[in-house]
Amino acid sequence: MSRKIRKAAVIGSGIMGGGIAALLAGAGVNVLLLDIVPFDLKDEEKNDPAARNRIVKTGLDAALASSPSLFMTKKDASLIEIGNLDDDFEKLGECDWICEVVVENLKIKQDLFKKVEAIRKPGAIVTSNTSGIPLKDICQELGDDFRQHFMGTHFFNPVRYMHLLELIPGAETLPEVLDFMAAFGEKQLGKGIVWAKDTPNFVGNRIGIQGIGAVMNAMLEDGLTIPEVDALFGPALGRPKTAIFKTSDLVGLDTMCHVAKNSYDLCPDDEQRGAFVVPDFVNKMVEQKLLGNKTRGGFYKTDLTPEWKKIRKVINPTTLEYEELNRPTFPCLDEAKKKATLPEKIKCVLTGDDKGAKFAWKMAANSFQYAAHRVPEISDTIIEIDNAMKWGYNFEMGPFELWDTYGVPEAVERMKTEGLEVPENVMAMLNAGHTSFYKLENGINYFYDFASQSYKTVPAGEDMVSLGAARGNNKVVLSNSSASLIDIEDGVFCIEFHTKMNAINAEIVDSIDEALTYVDKNGIGLVIGNQAGGMPGAFSAGADLAMISKMAHEKKYTEIDEFLQRAQGGIQRAKYSPFPVVAAPYGMTLGGGCETCLGADRIVAHAELYMGLVEIGVGLLPAGGGCLNIWKRFIDAMPAGVAKDTDLAKLFIPAFMNVAMAKVSMSAAQARSNGFLSATDRIVFNRDNQVGEAKKEVLRMVDNAYAPPAKKPVRVMGNAAQGMINAEIYNMLNGKFMSEHDAFLAKRIAFVMSGGDVNKNSEVPEETILKLEREAFIDFTREEKTIARIDHMLKTGKPLRN
Amino acid sequence: MREAYIVQSVRTPGCKQKRGQFKETRPEELLSFIMKAAVERTDGLKPENIEDVMCGCAFPEGEQGLNIGRIASKMAGFPDSVSGATVNRFCASGLEAIALASARVQMGWSEITMGAGVESMTFVPMGGNVPRPHPEYSATNPEMYISMGITAENVANRYNISREDQDKFASASQAKAAKAAKEGLFTEIVPTPAYKYVIQPDGTYKKDEFIVSLDDGIRESTPEGLGKLRAVFAANGSVTAGNSSQTTDGAAATIIASKAKCDELGLKPIAKLVAYASVGCKSDEMGVGPRYAIPKVLEVAGIKIEDIDIFEINEAFASQALYCIRELGLGESMDKINIHGGAIALGHPLGCTGAKLTATCLANLKEVNGKYGIVSMCIGGGMGAAAIFERL
Repeated sequence: MSRKIRKAAVIGSGIMGGGIAALLAGAGVNVLLLDIVPFDLKDEEKNDPAARNRIVKTGLDAALASSPSLFMTKKDASLIEIGNLDDDFEKLGECDWICEVVVENLKIKQDLFKKVEAIRKPGAIVTSNTSGIPLKDICQELGDDFRQHFMGTHFFNPVRYMHLLELIPGAETLPEVLDFMAAFGEKQLGKGIVWAKDTPNFVGNRIGIQGIGAVMNAMLEDGLTIPEVDALFGPALGRPKTAIFKTSDLVGLDTMCHVAKNSYDLCPDDEQRGAFVVPDFVNKMVEQKLLGNKTRGGFYKTDLTPEWKKIRKVINPTTLEYEELNRPTFPCLDEAKKKATLPEKIKCVLTGDDKGAKFAWKMAANSFQYAAHRVPEISDTIIEIDNAMKWGYNFEMGPFELWDTYGVPEAVERMKTEGLEVPENVMAMLNAGHTSFYKLENGINYFYDFASQSYKTVPAGEDMVSLGAARGNNKVVLSNSSASLIDIEDGVFCIEFHTKMNAINAEIVDSIDEALTYVDKNGIGLVIGNQAGGMPGAFSAGADLAMISKMAHEKKYTEIDEFLQRAQGGIQRAKYSPFPVVAAPYGMTLGGGCETCLGADRIVAHAELYMGLVEIGVGLLPAGGGCLNIWKRFIDAMPAGVAKDTDLAKLFIPAFMNVAMAKVSMSAAQARSNGFLSATDRIVFNRDNQVGEAKKEVLRMVDNAYAPPAKKPVRVMGNAAQGMINAEIYNMLNGKFMSEHDAFLAKRIAFVMSGGDVNKNSEVPEETILKLEREAFIDFTREEKTIARIDHMLKTGKPLRN
Repeated sequence: MREAYIVQSVRTPGCKQKRGQFKETRPEELLSFIMKAAVERTDGLKPENIEDVMCGCAFPEGEQGLNIGRIASKMAGFPDSVSGATVNRFCASGLEAIALASARVQMGWSEITMGAGVESMTFVPMGGNVPRPHPEYSATNPEMYISMGITAENVANRYNISREDQDKFASASQAKAAKAAKEGLFTEIVPTPAYKYVIQPDGTYKKDEFIVSLDDGIRESTPEGLGKLRAVFAANGSVTAGNSSQTTDGAAATIIASKAKCDELGLKPIAKLVAYASVGCKSDEMGVGPRYAIPKVLEVAGIKIEDIDIFEINEAFASQALYCIRELGLGESMDKINIHGGAIALGHPLGCTGAKLTATCLANLKEVNGKYGIVSMCIGGGMGAAAIFERL
């Protein structure tokens, strides 16, 4: 099949349409973004193209100005052509995929698609991003060919960051079209696909809004407060910190109520229909335009005192007055805090006997019931429901996974005792002797399929490598409490960090060395990657700062030097080992985590990459080869022989600024323009595929007769750089843009990155810069202000400017 | 000493760096055009009468390198016999060039010379293409390489020049310039050919020539409007893009001839350079330069400040210009200072500025029917320069 998306159209430039256009552009797709001509044009504007495109232009500008940005890089906007539905409608005839994201109004959508049908090119796919209107109503008047190429593609807001893409087949959609869109969404756009049926609000919002509505109503019945509910339904239960009410503030109360009303109106037979009636006080809030973050006040509100201090407030449901927010807690939450893993925390909260714990259990049982009753109504399997909640609502676990964590038999027993109804399909599963919804056997993940009443394999793409599954299949060849080396087949191994935030400690440094020895003996290549959770998650947040702090306080400078030597040695060894080493960074890849990647032979990055050498924030500098390798990425980008006579300042300044300003990329595309990723490094959109793609990269490099890079001296800018930086830093210091300590650190960093006391454009051995890195690092740890920065970061998680 | 008469003094418009009308026109063309125009506008003078060209340029490298004083005179069509040199005293380069050219005639070493100035801040940025402060000296004496904006902040802070006063001064400069432009009072400007590269229907590019007649950086603004701009050089500072000089492209030329040559060729003297002085000061407050240079040149010439009819005091920054004006006791003489606006409105093309302000000063002396005029400016690295011209 030669189906391709040469050009895609997005009709509707609101926050969703703009987000979809930005995502497509980020994936390299040409986009036509259309919206209506403003109704209120003045006579003199009627022939002015700029005025006629005002709405779409405003939409695109809003997407460009959004924060966090919907665009991976603003340059992507050049792939987006804007137009209006009157003057540019026929351009839709050039598009291979037309995605409708207009206002949620059946008549408007029907009329639009009638016109689209007349102009679409043969075979073009047409989809609707409607979040609630049944597709069958939208396309009932349209022809066979149109209906065969028509389906739902439901993205979640913000499009770039939410992993979920619900695909809703129409009754007549061709299988080829469905397969194509699933593959395109999964691979090109990096989304997690959930197959949904054409039922109101599909999967994520049907389950999600029921959960929110049920909790809100029960809160009032059981006499809990808003902060109490949010404390319970946050991270302790594997849910985002925004829990119930802050999530509603984020989404907007009006939107939430609209979705709830849609479920209520269109699902008359839903056994939990009552949950779709939001409490009265919420309706009153909507009437008073207390809609959440967009109106700067919803369930929560932040006020400023005259001294610019923030006061967080929360609404009182009875009085609708804002009251000062106190952070409540329950014994079960205090207990959960002490537990290391999420399943332990969940058990703490759900099995506790305080008021909060009982409430949490009651709502969990309610969500278990509701989810079980939805199969096969809204989706064929439990996987779709769990994935929708994980990817669309940022839950760590969907309802069935949560149920497994509690223990299905135990939960059912408790439900029976408390007189709660147990769904028939779950009862049947237990009666057949199956006690969990999921199981891992021999490295294969299975789920329980209600329809066939048996376990089936969890579908996974061919490119996917699951480290968790491999671990369950006894594929761990080396392991300690900080890192594991996992056999991911075909001679390729993956070293996985598993410390908190995957911080790099001495054990990881040793593990890398051992892994290199092991792979040299037993394999053909190494991937440095992990699949820790979180959004965006952390490949590695840097070196273990507590360890550095301890050594600095105890003035163990020899030990620091030894640690750095080992870290540098590992990174250098990876680079020059006779097999390819591919790093697979995603999310936060900072400090030592970044250095680990910069030293690798190749990087296969996830599109959401927040990469930077941020050491100066804690008064240090990259001393795991980071100064050396970020500079090499700049100088090595030049053709051979050119560097000798080049004004290296043009390269030195941006490379130096990366370190001295602790620049962090906001996407992999930006990491590339910042110089952290080179031309041969790859960007993968789907994080689920990342380790698999990194493995493929290793195999490709081996297949291409891999030879390690030749070790050669590095061309540096020498003292010419130091003079330039001295002068510039003097200006920054006098302009009060940096502190004395910043200036001290930055000058020394310039000294290291330019090769030390050496003439301009000299060539120096790599070891020279590595030694300068270590010396500077140790000198920095002697500084009181550096120690203060480190301790402040450890204590507060925020940098200290001193 | 012999008399050395100025027989011509003209300039190109000043156009904004990178965004202005000269952004694609190379400095050699700006300079060679104004040199040629100066000769053509002087009745009785032919290019071969000129013996030497002194050209001021603050960053004589790149497009302005390789001795632009010589290259431009060849590009102007002057014969091989006309020699040329590039002179650098940063922002006083153009004035220095005119002083040197005059001195040559006064000494009797030359009969007819040209003092000129050029700077395309578009083509060669301030600081140069390859800034290389000395690694060790910059570590101990970084103030020698200080950014000009910081020096302006230092002047404002040390001598209490308020943000409000700076913005008022800047607004007044813009207003004077706008009025003068509207009334056609910039008689020293010669409409100057420029070019840009324009895409053609077939996708190739072609050089497109056009004429520029006016300074393109004039923006009328209120002190309140300027008050909204953010400080650029220092956090919580007072120096903004609105109360600093504009970075500009331009060129200017002045022709000096001996009395004998004037008589021989029938050249009409319009003015003469009476005296020129330069002084050194602290580099981290270089903006104070005119406050010392002006008294020095007055003393050299034996002229009182009250006798001066026109001041062209370069507005590198409102803070330093205001400081100098106040210290010189000229606060009440604003009707004599920068009467058609200064560099805040008209631009400060570094090495060209001295030559540019000379042309403006002579035109303004004529306009007010005055006798003595002063051109003065502060200079990076910590200096000031001033020259007194007498209209004939």
